[in-house]
Amino acid sequence: MKKESSMSLRRRKETAVAAAVFLVPALLVIAVFVIYPILQSFITSGYEWNGYSSNKSFIGLANWAELLKDKVFWNAFKNNLLVMVLSIVIQMPIGLALATFLDKVGRKGNVCKVIWFIPMLMSSVAIGYLFRYALDANTGFVTAISKFFGGGTVDLLGNTGTVLITCIFIIAWQFIPFYMVYYLAGYSGLPSDVHEAAMVDGATESQYFWQISLPLLKPTIKSAVVLSIVGSLKYFDLVYVLTNGGPSHASELMATYMYSNAFSSYRMGYASAIASGMFLLISVIAIVTMRVLNGKED
Amino acid sequence: MRKMKKLAAGSLAACMFLLTACGGTKDAAADPGVSEGAGETAAAGDKIPLTLWHIQTGTMNDVIQASVDRFVAENPQYDVTVVEKQNDSYKSDLSLAINAGTLPDVFITWGGQTMYDYIDEGLIYDITDLMKEDGYADSFVDAGIAQCSYNGSIYAVPVENISVAGIFYNKDVFAKYNLQEPSTIAELEAVCDTLVSNGVAPFALANSTQWTGSMYFQYLATRYGGLEPFADAAAGEGSFENDAFVYAGKTIQDWVNKKYFCDGFNGMDDDSGQARMLFYSGNAAMDLMGSWFVSTIAGENQQFLDDDKLGFFPFPALDGSEADPSLCLGTIGDNLYCVSASSKDPEGAFHLIQSLLDDEAQTERTANGKIIPLKSFSSDNEVVNEVLDTVNSASGIQLWYDQYLPAEVAEVHKQTSQEIFGLTMTPEEANAELQSAMTSYLNK
Repeated sequence: MKKESSMSLRRRKETAVAAAVFLVPALLVIAVFVIYPILQSFITSGYEWNGYSSNKSFIGLANWAELLKDKVFWNAFKNNLLVMVLSIVIQMPIGLALATFLDKVGRKGNVCKVIWFIPMLMSSVAIGYLFRYALDANTGFVTAISKFFGGGTVDLLGNTGTVLITCIFIIAWQFIPFYMVYYLAGYSGLPSDVHEAAMVDGATESQYFWQISLPLLKPTIKSAVVLSIVGSLKYFDLVYVLTNGGPSHASELMATYMYSNAFSSYRMGYASAIASGMFLLISVIAIVTMRVLNGKED
Repeated sequence: MRKMKKLAAGSLAACMFLLTACGGTKDAAADPGVSEGAGETAAAGDKIPLTLWHIQTGTMNDVIQASVDRFVAENPQYDVTVVEKQNDSYKSDLSLAINAGTLPDVFITWGGQTMYDYIDEGLIYDITDLMKEDGYADSFVDAGIAQCSYNGSIYAVPVENISVAGIFYNKDVFAKYNLQEPSTIAELEAVCDTLVSNGVAPFALANSTQWTGSMYFQYLATRYGGLEPFADAAAGEGSFENDAFVYAGKTIQDWVNKKYFCDGFNGMDDDSGQARMLFYSGNAAMDLMGSWFVSTIAGENQQFLDDDKLGFFPFPALDGSEADPSLCLGTIGDNLYCVSASSKDPEGAFHLIQSLLDDEAQTERTANGKIIPLKSFSSDNEVVNEVLDTVNSASGIQLWYDQYLPAEVAEVHKQTSQEIFGLTMTPEEANAELQSAMTSYLNK
């Protein structure tokens, strides 16, 4: 009896050692490449610093005070929220619909699967350039269509009223394939006997989708929503290439604003305050979302 | 099934579109890749590595590469890597390199406050002695050397170009509507009205880039008030709310309302040449641009020059203004080549810069429409000579605001000038915002 308990104790100890050995490398990497930069951003946000000069002057919370009053930043945050909401509203249903379609048709849909996945394979920079030309107000395809029907030129990217929504559609074009594949993976995890059982019990395909496969996909959908939220709030690359936040900050996102402060205006301290502010905002939103989603489950 | 076919056809079309687009980017990216690759293979044993960053495009890449190849052939102890940087992200690249301590041996700046900041930071090597050797500095135009100097020392070589902004126009379009080169702003507006009524956009402008539109603002302010309003405002003795800047903003908005600029200008980007396509095709008649425009066209559309379509006139005078109408907006040197203070072989790096202006390079540069800031420079290109005349008769040169001003104020200037163009701010609001940025910078 005694012997056994000391055995289990030793075993537990050994497990702990093994766990530590396996975890330390990952922890080190995270500490160096994630935790340290985050802390460093918070520290830098207390300085007036141009990013390369050797004299940094400590100004306390002045950058944060400026950030709270900065209309451009809050407008960028609002833009991020719009990107977030519309990304979920547009990308999730279409991605799910495509995945459902591909799941139904099986192998016959392989060609579609490959073609639909192509936008995901392109880099955001290439997509940005592609759409910059494709949407050109004088030579782009939207203008060409409008002219064909007797209309005038259509300026989607140079117009403060349309630029953000245009970016959102391009982002959707880019990311729908990702969610398609994500849901397809979710479908492949569903046991096939459930489908058979439902059919034997006389369910229609639409009943099966709404009553059975959708609830079973819930965990997949939840994680997709969280991914989409975090992705939208820190979105940067395509918008940077396509519009650089312009014209007149109309498509400015928090990340593009941070970038232009850090590397065009050479205000590294203020940019760090923006980065830290983003970190706080995104964390809060992500945590609240996860709470809400998980709370429903109980 | 029918639906699927449609979908498939649609996606297929999209695909082909993508493929062609990808092909394009790849080609453009190939050049620097090749030169870097060549550098790597040559890296042998104890050669001294030198890295050079430049932002030239088109055929000028080849000219620079040829200069470097000659340099390496004569000085086989060096292994030179040439990196072609993109203009609009260059400042970010530089700041990242400074942070990482990987500043290349030779890099360019545009002068002005940003270069002075780098010098104060000890990032740029003092090349005064090297420049004075054999009177090398004396071969350059004085204004060029002045722009490369700070506190009595020389820190850069004005290699690229005498760049002043002026109005380039398509001669065919002017001939078609029987238009003459305007010499006053009122005449310019008359020309624009004629063009608009004929369905031609007067100005090609790609203002997503911001500095492009900012040149209109700068010229109009200079024509209204001369050099003083800006110099005073930048020194903290005047204000950007001065009448000159109000006039500039109001005129621009008036022109925007009269459709003087091509459709979609605020969404177009200069690096990707969207506005120039309109200019080449005759759908836009004029382009206010720096004189590097000649070499941009030479690299992009030589046919346009061969057909003698390109004309030039200085920015017109403002009636009733006392400001000297010969004042030019621009830079003598354009890209100033600096040697990094951290270079292991600053002298070698300096000689590398010199190779960019060796005899052969001078011939090639001249052929590419460059106006080299050397006293001995001459050209048989008509447009180039017109630009040169404009510079030589100028009583002063206003350095681009966005290079003269410290980076953070320059960004605000570019942003507010875009807001003026987009009609999203009144000139008064825009100028007040610029002034507050200037004040907060000066108060630091």
